[in-house]
Amino acid sequence: MPANWSYVIAAYGVAAVALFGYWRYLARRIRALTARQHDAAPHRTAS
Amino acid sequence: MTHAPGWLAAVSLAAGLAAGFGYAPREAVQGNVQRIMYLHVPSVLTAYLAFGLVLLGSIGYLATRRPGWDRLAGAAGEIGVLFTGLTIVSGSIWGRPTWGTWWTWDARLTSTAMLFLIYVGYLLLRSVIDDPDARGRYAAVVGILGAVNIPIVHFSVKWWRALHQPSTILGPGPAPIDPAIEVVLFLNWVAFTLLFAYFLARRIEIARLEET
Repeated sequence: MPANWSYVIAAYGVAAVALFGYWRYLARRIRALTARQHDAAPHRTAS
Repeated sequence: MTHAPGWLAAVSLAAGLAAGFGYAPREAVQGNVQRIMYLHVPSVLTAYLAFGLVLLGSIGYLATRRPGWDRLAGAAGEIGVLFTGLTIVSGSIWGRPTWGTWWTWDARLTSTAMLFLIYVGYLLLRSVIDDPDARGRYAAVVGILGAVNIPIVHFSVKWWRALHQPSTILGPGPAPIDPAIEVVLFLNWVAFTLLFAYFLARRIEIARLEET
């Protein structure tokens, strides 16, 4: 059986891109939603 | 502290990767390409866990109408689709050098593709319904019906003549593999489960923020 390292690298490469991409997507979405909530919150004014 | 589970998952994934390439022996028949197993098997076990939680969340929502159950089901469904996709792609890449083909309409492969499509449909359904209660109810029905496919996928290699090998670690009796391979597989399964837990917590947080 040949080494077939190219297949191993391809499988792990696809997984790394997919999992890291999803990780980044979640982090960005949470940041955007938190910022939106923060902007929408009423600001206190001195009276 | 929100990043601690993420770092724990990342470190355990790195340990699993190092063990898969540094500690696990080269498999006698398949050679190094068998190392794809440390990615492929934990992916499908994580997908089973995710769809099991979709089932739990769906039943919980129909029984109580509490939004938390629907958030759990929706979040687990999305992550389950991700890990099922990884299972199919890594299996296809593994199949090319070992079976001589990227894809075949074998019972295990076909039922896994159906599982993937059912939950893609589940996510599409969730995305087209605006009313939260209607979305929760309709999605719960699909989430419960979709779970029927999980045992079909798992037992397909026993019920039908299949090219895919029978279950190695969830089969009856001790796993017929080298103990070093079994330990590395277990380590990677733990790492994937930790990553899933982190993704699930973050995805539920997103759903909660979207509703406020």
